Amino acid sequence: MERQMETDQFSQNDTILSSALNEKMQYLNDLNDSVKNGDDLQIYQLMDPNRYANELATEETEKSQTDHFGLASDLTAQLSHHLSNKLIDYLGATYPFFYYHEYELGKFHIYFGNWWDHRMFGELDPINVRFNFDDNAYQMLSKSFQLEAENRRVNDDTMQKLGDENERITKLISEQDQRDKRKEEIREQLKENQEKSPMPWEAGKVKEERQRLNDEMLKLTQIDEEATGGRSTIKENENKILALSKEETILSLEKQNIRATFGSFDAFIENNNNLYTKYLQSLSKESQVSDGE
Amino acid sequence: MVSNETEEKAITTNELLANYSDSVQNGLDNGSKYLQAFHTLSETTDGQSLLSAAVSLTNFKLNSDFVTFPHQFSDEDVQLIFFERLLSLSGIENNFRISNPQRVQKLLCKFDSLGDQTFTFTKSTKNSDGFFFGPTLNNRPLFYLNLKNKELMFHGASLIEYFVVDLEGLEIDAIKNALELLTKAAAILKENFGFKIDFNVLDGVNGEFYQFAAGALSEDVMDELFVKSAENHFVLMAEDNGGASLTLGNGTKMTVYDANQNGNRPKWGATIRDDQQNENWLYLLLDYPFIKKWYLNNQKQLEILSNQFIFG
Repeated sequence: MERQMETDQFSQNDTILSSALNEKMQYLNDLNDSVKNGDDLQIYQLMDPNRYANELATEETEKSQTDHFGLASDLTAQLSHHLSNKLIDYLGATYPFFYYHEYELGKFHIYFGNWWDHRMFGELDPINVRFNFDDNAYQMLSKSFQLEAENRRVNDDTMQKLGDENERITKLISEQDQRDKRKEEIREQLKENQEKSPMPWEAGKVKEERQRLNDEMLKLTQIDEEATGGRSTIKENENKILALSKEETILSLEKQNIRATFGSFDAFIENNNNLYTKYLQSLSKESQVSDGE
Repeated sequence: MVSNETEEKAITTNELLANYSDSVQNGLDNGSKYLQAFHTLSETTDGQSLLSAAVSLTNFKLNSDFVTFPHQFSDEDVQLIFFERLLSLSGIENNFRISNPQRVQKLLCKFDSLGDQTFTFTKSTKNSDGFFFGPTLNNRPLFYLNLKNKELMFHGASLIEYFVVDLEGLEIDAIKNALELLTKAAAILKENFGFKIDFNVLDGVNGEFYQFAAGALSEDVMDELFVKSAENHFVLMAEDNGGASLTLGNGTKMTVYDANQNGNRPKWGATIRDDQQNENWLYLLLDYPFIKKWYLNNQKQLEILSNQFIFG
């Protein structure tokens, strides 16, 4: 009896199995058709039906949908490459300042701008329609926007310090003649000092004077040394200033471009956060237009 | 010596007189040949005759043992007279004149637009047919002229030193007027006389490659151009060939790149494109002070190469 029950309990197994397999086959067929037909919207729906339903707020019921993407997840790189075509066209219009380089199938570096020494700004993820910005690059830009509100720049303090340092060294170099003259005087005074044969009660004072002259001489020699190596320090600092100016130039171009397209950094962030929805809406509009034709 | 002299055949008085008169005659003939060429140089309206007169008068040995001429034009003067007459025959002499025609032996010339600056030719120490044209004050060789070999070569570094640095502060149009006259003269020599011309930094043809002396350019140099451009509201753009380009006013585009990117010896330089094919490297430095500053800051690397054999 027990056995009989068991058989009954699972009597529908094959039907269920068959239907599940059919569903999976249907899924893969649908995916394949969407790829062949260039229906990227459908691909996004098939890849992540729940996100699709949530973010596009379709009329369909809110119940969670079966996600079969596991069946094709080993093809992510190929899908990513496929999806990148239309996505990059779209981004070309909406983010005209970004440039992409596919360094590996389906993987893309983002470059900000196409000016000299533009920055690598992170990666593009076509599967999730998302920018994965490089933390450092993004933080620096964000900081630059913040400081701008206070009329300051990221590298101002450092550049100011290097500039001051160069001014100081230039002065040391130009004062060489004065120092040489002073050293000559000190030598004379030292000589006089040594020739003195003081009374015992004056001996301390004479010794003190000698010490003072020697100290001053030492200090002047130290300054001489710094002045001698000064030119190469100045050159080094100039190179550092140049590198920082370059960074500021790049940041300023990045800010200009963001403002020209989005108006503000906040609007840019907002747009990034809604990129998936906006892009899929644009695809959907496109397909409606072509359906209507 | 003594024995040689005693062995010399004695000559008769008649022979002596005849020899003398032959020698004087030869000297006079030589003089009249010179004079004839000189007439041609100063009066002909035919370009080819002008050129051949100038060539024959250059290195002309006018004095002989029996006949000497105390007042002579120098070879340098001949070049200058040729140059002045070439311009006047071509109808482009306004702005250029010989400034001291009353003084024989070292003629100078002036460009009206450049004020008091005088110029003259100087003979090359390497080649007696070659002459350098330059300012009298410092003798920078602006160009090299060899009428016999039909060559004219401009010297980029000197042209920049003189017209961009020495004449700084002068009106740019005045400088360009003088330079245009020089390039026009060179173009006439090329087209009408078949001269070989190296326009160097004055070459306005699109795509002309102005090669930098350094070969390889350090990244700092490009960074500096990038920063300076941005300060002047131009953006230095990255190019696919690994170089960079600047789009300037009037659709002028300057590109800096390594022309030997695939080889192992870098060959950095610049090209300029503009619709009129008018802009050249020197004009660019005059027109854009920030590019001039960049060039002068990095002159060692950026100097444009000229013919090193002739100017070296």
